[in-house]
Formats: sequence, C-alpha cells, structure tokens
Amino acid sequence: MGATMTQKILARVNASVERTAPHGQIIWAVPDLVSAPEVSFYAYIKRLRDIGISRLAMPERVAVIIDHEVPVHSTAGAERNQLTRRLAQELSVGHFFDGVGITHPLLVERGLVRPGMFAAGADSHAPGLGAVGALSVPFGFEVAMILATGKIWMQVPETIRVRLHGRCPDGVAARDIVLATMQQLDDEATSYRVIEYQGDGLASLSVPERMTLCGLCVDAGAKSGIAQADQRCVDYLYALGVHDAQLLSSDDDAEFAMTIDLDLSSLTPRVSIPPAPSHVREAQALQDIRIDHAYIGSCASGSIEDLRAAAAVLRGHKVHAGVRLLVIPATQRVFQQALEEGLLTVFSVAGATISASTCGPCFGGMAQLTAGERRISTSTRNDPGRMGSHDAEIYLASAMTVAASAITGYITDPRQFVGAAKSAS
Amino acid sequence: MNTSDITHGRAWKLPSDISSDQLISARHVFEFDPDLLSKHLLADVRPEFAQQAQPGDVIVAGRNFAHGSHHSHPFLAMKALGVGLLCDTLARGPFRLAIFMGVPLLQVGSDVLAAIEDGQQIDIDFRRGSIVNVSTGCIMQAEPLAPFLQDIVNAGGGLAFIKADMKGVR
Repeated sequence: MGATMTQKILARVNASVERTAPHGQIIWAVPDLVSAPEVSFYAYIKRLRDIGISRLAMPERVAVIIDHEVPVHSTAGAERNQLTRRLAQELSVGHFFDGVGITHPLLVERGLVRPGMFAAGADSHAPGLGAVGALSVPFGFEVAMILATGKIWMQVPETIRVRLHGRCPDGVAARDIVLATMQQLDDEATSYRVIEYQGDGLASLSVPERMTLCGLCVDAGAKSGIAQADQRCVDYLYALGVHDAQLLSSDDDAEFAMTIDLDLSSLTPRVSIPPAPSHVREAQALQDIRIDHAYIGSCASGSIEDLRAAAAVLRGHKVHAGVRLLVIPATQRVFQQALEEGLLTVFSVAGATISASTCGPCFGGMAQLTAGERRISTSTRNDPGRMGSHDAEIYLASAMTVAASAITGYITDPRQFVGAAKSAS
Repeated sequence: MNTSDITHGRAWKLPSDISSDQLISARHVFEFDPDLLSKHLLADVRPEFAQQAQPGDVIVAGRNFAHGSHHSHPFLAMKALGVGLLCDTLARGPFRLAIFMGVPLLQVGSDVLAAIEDGQQIDIDFRRGSIVNVSTGCIMQAEPLAPFLQDIVNAGGGLAFIKADMKGVR
C-alpha cells in the first residue's frame, strides 16, 4: 500500500523511532516551521513564562509576523508590537517580519517553505502553505506547546483527493474551484481530513492560485489542504531562490477517503453567501443584490495574480458611486510589483482605496461594516459579525467577481467584463 | 463538587452550526485574558449566558460546533467559567483547542441531544461518558475521550500537561 503526501510528510517528521504514519495513529510530530502572528505570540510566551518555561525549543524554526494591525492604529496595538519585537529578539526567533505582509503568502515568498515540509501555524489559514506541497496545520493556542517542546501530537489524517481536469474558462478563478469543491463536500466529509489537489488541471494553476485552493480548505471544514508539488511548483520556488525543492505527490496506490473529479472547463463564477463560506451560489443568480463595499486582498486572494485579474476587469471603468472599493496587496513585494506593473494606477484611477499589506479587514480589524451594509470580498470568512456589525452581510468571491461587482454596484458575474476587455484589446 | 471529570450544572442548549465567531466575535482576537473573554462568550447568541453561567454548567450543542476560524478564545472562556461541552460533532481544530484548554467534552449522538432541554440539570462523568438528566431522570451513555486526551484535559490543559512532562528539564 502506497502513502499519501500527508502520510509521507508525517512519517518523516514522526518523533518516534518508527518513521511511519498509518491513518488514525497518534504520533508526536516535529514541525519544520512554526509561525505565530503578533495577535497571539506574546500571549503564548506569557503563558509559558507563567509556568516557568522561558526558552523556545527550536527558535531557529520560528517565524513571528506583525500582520494583523498594519499600520498600527491603536495604542494597545503599538504596545503589543513593541512587546512582540522585544520578545522576538530576546528569544532569538529565526524569522521576524514587521509589517511587510500577511503570514502565509509572506512565508512562501521569502523562500521559507518547500515541498514535504510540516509547518505549524497559529493562524487559521496556515494551510495556504500547502500551495507548495507542504503540510501546514493551524494549531491556534497549541503553538505554545510547540514553542516549548518542539513537537505536537497528531492523529494521522485521511486524505480527500480532488483531481482537477482541463483549465478554467475566462472569468473563472481558483476561488471558484474551491467553492465548487465545497459544494461536493459537507463538514462531515471534510472533518479531520486533508484535501489534496492533483491532476492534469493543477498544472494550469500558478502557486498563488494554489494558495487560494489550499488556504480555503479550512473554510470547507478540512484539517488542511495540500497541492501536489509538480514541476511548476518547483520552478516557482527556484525563481524565488529555493534551489533544493523536490517533486512530491501521493502514490497511486495510496488509500484515499474519497476522490472527487472536477472538470475546470465547466466551472462558472460562484459566491459564498452568508452565513458561511460553504453556502455557495452562482454569481449570476445573485445579480439583484446591491453592495456597499468591495474588498480585494487577504492571505487567500491578495496575490499579484489576483491584482492583475482585478485590474483587467477594472481598467477603463469607475467604481460605482455607491460603492467603496478597498485593495490590499498581500505582501509589500506584491505591492511593489503591482506598482511597477501599473496595476495600482488602474485601481486608483477607478476610484479604489489602496492600503498597506495587512489581514485587517478579514476579521473586522479595519474597514468595518455597520448594520445593513453589504460587502463582497475576496477574504476567507463571512460569519455574521466578522467585519463589524452582526447585521452586516458578507459575500465571498474571486477578485474578478469582486471587481466586476464594484463597477456595477451589484453582485456581478465577471465574464461580461473579461470578454469585453478581451475583444477591445 | 466539580472536578474536570465530574460536573453538575444546567444545560445551555444551542442549535447546530454555531460558529467560532458566534461564540466569541472575531473582533476580540487580540484579547487573551480569560476573565474578559468570559464576558464575550455567546454575547450575540445568548446574551444572558456570561452573567448566569456557573461552574459545572454544560453547553449542549448540535453538529459542527465552533466551526470556522480556529480561535482559542471560546475555549479559554469556557475553561475560565468551568463550563463543559456536549455536542454531536465538532471540527478537528476546535476539538483540539477544547482539549488543549482543558475543557471537558463528550461527543454524543442525536438521541442524547434530544433528551436534554435548555435549563435542565445535568450530571456528567466525563471519564466514564455517563450523562444523567437530573430534571427528567434519564440516564445516557456516550463514548468517552481516548485516555491520552483525557490525560491532557485532566491535567488542566495542554500547558499544564507539558509542564508535568518537562519537569526536571528546565
């Protein structure tokens, strides 16, 4: 019997002498990379110090990232950041990033992640690192245990295999692939399982697009998401200066809990409606829903490719008079590249506000909504109250769908704009 | 008395699909003081909860409890309040966080959930998985947590567990 990618990775990092990872077995696993944002890092350290633990087990593997409140806009935040900077230095953490991007895309961009790694994150959307064939699991406060001991217990999870075929039509994006996946998998199917993307269709998707696929697996209820590390992945990492990345895939005779086949060429733009990401509808069916605010950004959809796709829709158009559009590149490097490519000019001319890289809007940390307002967003979650008032509504969609909706003031299928842009050029 | 594994208190019955954000709004992510978090627990769903919940009480929820963001906050608050959990299912992330925070829990079937109404008095032996609805006299049984996980909960949570584990190391 062969092994899944997840089993291969967990077998390698199994702390016991038997380097195996049968499904369902509880093992102690040693993460290769541990990340914690400023939101919680100081709180973990405080709790550890309270019980007399003052050193990190493997500080060189730890990344601390200031990304949730950037630029800082509260005195409490300024104090928290100051404390975080001091702790990062005192504890000799290996990687410290201060307001230069959102954790998950940042860790990939800086060449810290490669196929076959086991990464532990404090943040819920840590599975985004699965884009480069790493198994990245969100552990929340359990990261405190990892910081102290360098290991974490894991019950080896099963894998759901999603085989992608063909390529997406114009106007359809990685988000729509995730939403199509969610329509086939309920929480019972995904609970305590990893979703693995593979198949010939995967080659048509860039690494940033795969970050959307993997990062949003959490919102489908899965433990994590991972994409097969193919030649495109290895080439992408090589260009970033990661020269030792290896191909990684599941064995053909590995045991999968389920297999789903998705024909990408048949997909259409989709939208998550309140109250949860898994509530999926066709964008076309929602065209009577008026919006007040549109947001393009987040760890799952703030890449250069998302910004290019949004700019292609917005070029030559204005944001609707009744709508505010906020654009946030996921990292400072993405910001810089968007600047050089002229994308930020497109957004600015269209009437958008552009902000520094941060997680802010995704959890109601900035650009809050009040009762009765509606936002369409490329971020990760749409729980009631997530972005301010409990009585505001959040819809989630691709950067193209959000851009098209910002132009019309209503939820809009972007294919009309993408088609028009094509024929004009 | 209430220890981690034997509790007496009232049932706070919740529907299925209560999300992590509904337990404690994501706007409180920067807050880690358990006593402050306790004031926010279920604020949008059961505003009276924070005032009235007592140690030994139990949240009785349906399917997919605490789904969504893997926030530790609801479980920090439940631990501080001394409140346990019975639910049909919960995703892996919240399941782990509940145990890590030392919140006693049992995953129970729909028949158990159907036999408990909001406000009834419930006795639970989490170690054995036995549940008694004192208000109705109904006696029920559920599968207890695996012994390894019970050890973490009974230690008072993951950090207390590793403290014992690391004794003498540091």
